[in-house]
Amino acid sequence: MIVAGYVLPIPRANIDTDQIIPARHLTRIDAEGMGEHLFEGMADGVELLARHPEASIVVAGENFGCGSSREHAAWALLGRGFSAVIAPSFARIFSENAYTNALLPITLPHHTVEMLMATRHITIDVVNETLCADDGEQIRFALDPLRKQFVLGGGFLNYLQAKIPAVRAWEAMR
Amino acid sequence: MPRSLFDKVWDAHVVEELPGGNALVFMDLTVAHEITTPPGAIAIERDFDDQLYDARRIVSMIDHVAPAKDSATALQAQTVRTWSKRHQIRFHDIGDNGICHVLVPERGYVTPGMTVCCGDSHTCTLGALGAFALGIGTTAQAGAMLAGCLILQRPKVMQVEVTGALTAGATAKDLALSVIATIGFRGGTGYVLEYSGSAIRALTMEQRMTLCNMAIEAGATTGIIAADETTAAYLAATPAAPSGWPLQQADPDAEYAASVTIDGSAIRPVVSWGTNPGECSPIDGIVPFDAPEESLTYMDLRPGQRMSSIAVDQAFIGSCTNSRIGDLRAAADVLRGQRVSVPTIITPGSQAVRRQAEREGLHDIFQDAGALWTHSSCGPCLGMSMGVLAPGTRCISSSNRNFPGRMGDGGRVHLAAPAVVAASAILGRLASPAEIDAPAAVSA
Repeated sequence: MIVAGYVLPIPRANIDTDQIIPARHLTRIDAEGMGEHLFEGMADGVELLARHPEASIVVAGENFGCGSSREHAAWALLGRGFSAVIAPSFARIFSENAYTNALLPITLPHHTVEMLMATRHITIDVVNETLCADDGEQIRFALDPLRKQFVLGGGFLNYLQAKIPAVRAWEAMR
Repeated sequence: MPRSLFDKVWDAHVVEELPGGNALVFMDLTVAHEITTPPGAIAIERDFDDQLYDARRIVSMIDHVAPAKDSATALQAQTVRTWSKRHQIRFHDIGDNGICHVLVPERGYVTPGMTVCCGDSHTCTLGALGAFALGIGTTAQAGAMLAGCLILQRPKVMQVEVTGALTAGATAKDLALSVIATIGFRGGTGYVLEYSGSAIRALTMEQRMTLCNMAIEAGATTGIIAADETTAAYLAATPAAPSGWPLQQADPDAEYAASVTIDGSAIRPVVSWGTNPGECSPIDGIVPFDAPEESLTYMDLRPGQRMSSIAVDQAFIGSCTNSRIGDLRAAADVLRGQRVSVPTIITPGSQAVRRQAEREGLHDIFQDAGALWTHSSCGPCLGMSMGVLAPGTRCISSSNRNFPGRMGDGGRVHLAAPAVVAASAILGRLASPAEIDAPAAVSA
């Protein structure tokens, strides 16, 4: 699985989920329609997207996706055509939500992220966990080995459904 | 091997170790509200034959926008309502409802040693009862409802020992904000904060909830406090009056991945000046000279500015952090016989809290002071309803997040304890309750 796209650089830490998608848009009973409100809660969000209309990979500062547990943040990024976020660190819930929805959360050291911030185009080899920016060197990253399968083939709830007999057996023995 | 309190709760709920350091962790209770539950409930109905692992392990409520403000939020509420009835889930509709993190403990649904999840980041509040309680996304919540489990990476445990005792004027909110300032806005990421020490033991259950509520604001998976006689007395007084729960504590020689010690007697009343909850100063202090320019630009403040010189346009007392009866009593103590000078909204955390406040006459104190006394809702805390800020306006708030735009596009939020919010509402600027008897002049 290869994910390739243009970079949307957000050179700031702590991009919280209220900035990614403000709560006023959390009024649906499905995951649709979030993309059109992506980054509406960020002062320069709309302008940033307009400057990078073809971007599909976010490169941002530390602690991306902190704050609210809203999965709508992952849905908004995907809905707007984004397929990966690269940052030095992620908030736990955002990272979990990203994997579940096949949005790649890629953690790389601070200096590497800073270097990627200045590039235009990134190609990501998901299976082999490497990426390449513009004509630069290959960079290795590590995905959660379990959750990687949800990125490659979806099926998060099916995986859990298959565990039900084991869970029931565990509970009976508790 | 000696274990932390968190380790004991975690170990007792691991169904299966999974690849990559993940585990399948059994959830004793899933809390479901109308904003984040519907897509997951609908997915289970559509793709998994509407099967729930155990409907008795779910409790649901309408809390964020209560009652609905428009057709879209009415559909969210109706979806949870019909789904709850179909599965005979314990459901708290408007009138009998409350913010999930207020309602769930007050009804006695959570006991020490339990695991609890909810599609809401402030689920960490319930760690105050010695439970492992955490926020998760919609699909993970659906997984817990379908299969009774979450897939989780085992968090590390940070011991946060608070020694001594809080002094008069310092509250659990000040402690919560000070913890974040100490370990950093993302300093808790990957950790559970296990609180201990004499200052923690001395907190009421409500104060412990306020403290644990903000563990997520340091990035932590959750906070947890060992149950004691305070917990036992609290639970015995709830409608469910649960009994038979384990009295677990950390082993005395338990090892922690990290430890911090905070002197409880050094905690002072603080107010946030920035755009994350770690950016705080004492109410009688100044905006720091090394404050990030980006935060100050958004907040329209300057380094060195006195906190007490900052004028506010609105005040809000409510949210899952500070909306319980003790919080309302603290606000009433300040507002009694006074008048607010800016629009002030007081929103109880649950309808049960509202009724208790009215039995005590607090609603009269608030309304005599000119404040708006509402029914329970998450309200303006997350900028959804009942008091959203206008762009460029400034609110002193007892809630938990001062992120840009959190309470409304372009709105500026200062976080503080309820008594400080009340004092600020009276003086129209950030103010200490100590100033109320003899209000000082505004000075820059």
